[in-house]
Amino acid sequence: MPSRRNLLITGGTLLPRFAIAQADQRPSITVAVQNISTSGTLEPMREQSNVGFRVMPSFAECLIEMDWTRTQRPRPGLATEWRRIDHRTVELTLRDGVRFHDGTLLSAEDVAFSFSAARFGGTAADARGLFVGTAQQAASKVPPPEASAISRSAFPAFERIEVRDARTVRFINGAPDVTLESRLTRTSGSIFSRAGFAAASSWLEWARMPIGSGPYRIARFRPNQDLLLEAHDAYWGGRPPLKSIRFIEVPDVAARVNALRAGDADFACDMPPDQIGEIERAPRLAVQGGRINNIRLTIFDKHHPVLANPLVRRAMTHAIDRQAIVDALWAGRTAVPKGLQHEFYGEMFQADWSAPRFDLAEARRLLREAGYKGEAIPYQLLNNYYTNQTPGAQVLVEGWRQAGLNVQIEMKENWGQILGRFPGRGISDNSNTAGFGDPVSSMATYAPGGQTWESGQWENDEAKAAMQVLASSVEPAARRTAFRRMLEICEREDPAYTVLHQNATFTALRKGLPWRASQSFAMDFSPRNWGA
Amino acid sequence: MLRFLVLRLARALLTIALVVSFAFVVLRLSGDPALLIMSVDAPPEAVAAFRRAWGLDEPLWRQYLSYFGAIASGDLGRSMRDGRDAIVLVGERIPATLALTVPALLIKLGLGIPAGIHAALHRNSWSDRLVMLLAVAGFTVPSFVLGLLLVLVFAVQLGWLPSGGQDSWRHAVLPIITLGVGGAAVLARFTRSAMLEVLGQSYIRTASAKGVPWAQVVRNHALPNAAIPTVTIIGFMVGSLIAGAVVVESVFSWPGVGRLLVVAVANRDLAVVQCILLLVAATMVSANLVVDLLYGALDPRLRRGGSR
Repeated sequence: MPSRRNLLITGGTLLPRFAIAQADQRPSITVAVQNISTSGTLEPMREQSNVGFRVMPSFAECLIEMDWTRTQRPRPGLATEWRRIDHRTVELTLRDGVRFHDGTLLSAEDVAFSFSAARFGGTAADARGLFVGTAQQAASKVPPPEASAISRSAFPAFERIEVRDARTVRFINGAPDVTLESRLTRTSGSIFSRAGFAAASSWLEWARMPIGSGPYRIARFRPNQDLLLEAHDAYWGGRPPLKSIRFIEVPDVAARVNALRAGDADFACDMPPDQIGEIERAPRLAVQGGRINNIRLTIFDKHHPVLANPLVRRAMTHAIDRQAIVDALWAGRTAVPKGLQHEFYGEMFQADWSAPRFDLAEARRLLREAGYKGEAIPYQLLNNYYTNQTPGAQVLVEGWRQAGLNVQIEMKENWGQILGRFPGRGISDNSNTAGFGDPVSSMATYAPGGQTWESGQWENDEAKAAMQVLASSVEPAARRTAFRRMLEICEREDPAYTVLHQNATFTALRKGLPWRASQSFAMDFSPRNWGA
Repeated sequence: MLRFLVLRLARALLTIALVVSFAFVVLRLSGDPALLIMSVDAPPEAVAAFRRAWGLDEPLWRQYLSYFGAIASGDLGRSMRDGRDAIVLVGERIPATLALTVPALLIKLGLGIPAGIHAALHRNSWSDRLVMLLAVAGFTVPSFVLGLLLVLVFAVQLGWLPSGGQDSWRHAVLPIITLGVGGAAVLARFTRSAMLEVLGQSYIRTASAKGVPWAQVVRNHALPNAAIPTVTIIGFMVGSLIAGAVVVESVFSWPGVGRLLVVAVANRDLAVVQCILLLVAATMVSANLVVDLLYGALDPRLRRGGSR
């Protein structure tokens, strides 16, 4: 016969569970997206695309978070506080009571694991494949070489994690870096369960379903199909407001809108601006979104015979009616930025800087000075990889034509045909995401290791020197001066690019859903952004 | 017969080798898988590491020899994007595609052939004109337009069926109809033409003049002779069961082989593309082989080694 004590214990254990099950009236939602992950994994050290960034904050968290929805500033994440020990070292205090999706509690060892060779790769094994399957590679726990390269890029001078005690870790860099805290806010700084990695049979298996501590756990991921996230009720930030979130891949815009209208989806992402009016006319639908931390650019290949003369490039920067693009193609829902920078750069933001003014007379004067005789300038263009890319290109070419420039559009199918080294490479489109609140995040592209530099489109020794100061100096004044100099070189004197407009993303959703779009690609379904 | 089969097999293998080589050259010359899979937002160092890891920095001829050698030894390679064996990835998607294409084929056969026969037997009647009007509409409307139209009517307006996905049998209804309607229209046109040609032959007139009942003339003389061109078309339809739903799978977000092919081509995921091409080529070749054998069954002259 059970004792009264046993009955009480049993009842005490069962009742709350029953109560939770009874009370679980939380909604489940479906989000239609163009793509869930370009790499087929959800490990930030491999998945670097904007689309991957959209889903990651739901299941993975960093020591320091970036508040992309409201303040655009860092806030405590898995670390409750942090302090500088010296220019190379940040000490962080870990949050108590954080439980991973596998039930284990966050410890300093998990942080050490997240920055260890298990994820960073270290000396990666030679994994040459030549498309040929080898069982040991597929079953290996060694991260692929690209993951190692991404980790080196995300934390270029990272030395080690020092575990001080169960709740304190030190992030130690090999060189002074004032952006260490900011770098930790990026998805590459996500903390994962060490036990979860140990339990996985291979790196690939783990990378598909990494075990983090976010408000939702990965229940199922089928690349090119869907991603099912379920509420992680032990989430430290409160009970998640949604029972489950299902991201479904619907590549076609019209099909995404239809899914929303038919009630098969609650959200439809990546809506082009010309669809917004139509969607908003539907009584049950709404559109959210706007400017994000990404700026659309035109890139110049300074090794093209005509573009080698910086005066020609400068003329091009003055023959762009940026406001017309914003008004005509974006219905005024975005803006022309003050150069390649964002206000959330704080004291590094150069408020008196601006994009080159639209001035056809100045453009013509510069072309006369350059001795330009109407030689063709090729413009390698992808068909709407970016929203409004092709119509935007037509506006650009018309502006350049008015200034006397002969720009010829060449349609291309993929990025390899844009960034590959081939004769006749001229102008191309690109965008630049500021991953954290410092100009290092955006200007690194125009220095050794950056895409524009490494693809051989543009180099400049003075810019390289200025970038070194920006990246390694600890003096705010010296860094401000270096950033200013970078802007002067890259946007005025020897243009590497010219800004067009701030990028914007729009999400269509069922009217009345208590959710707020962020000012980045990320979608936040945590308790702080649903019903808050 | 054996010589015939051996020759057909050799020709099929040559066709497959050419298809694989052509796809390799086109895919490798027209895009960089590293940049596409890692995304343009990845650090250049990571893209370069990916390229090295998969041997994409090797000379093209060496990549080709390596790849072709692997195929010859039965290794179809691994997906650069997914990391798993290409054959496993493709194999996972085949049931989903067959779930659309097999019922769609039945619709094509069940609607197209009777409609074509009826139209031919009632030439120039209102029902013939109606059948042909629908048939022309059926195969001139692109499948993505028809698909979106069906979604607008049955999912958005009426709310009877889901707009896309693969969660239940209801999700398959609209894609099956989209696939089936176009094929049925093609079959109706071909069957009608073949029947009209046969019905104009002298042996049909002779049979009728001898007093054979019309139904018997049609069943015993017209249909078997009209079947040969129709069987050829059906052969193509059977051959495209695996990858014949590329557009429809994309419109309805149906995770089949067609959708996988689109993604693999977009990412230049060579092993997956090649695996699908091999599968499609093998299916097409097998279907054509069966069609050739059926010719013999349908036409006694071919059985005896004569020519049609």
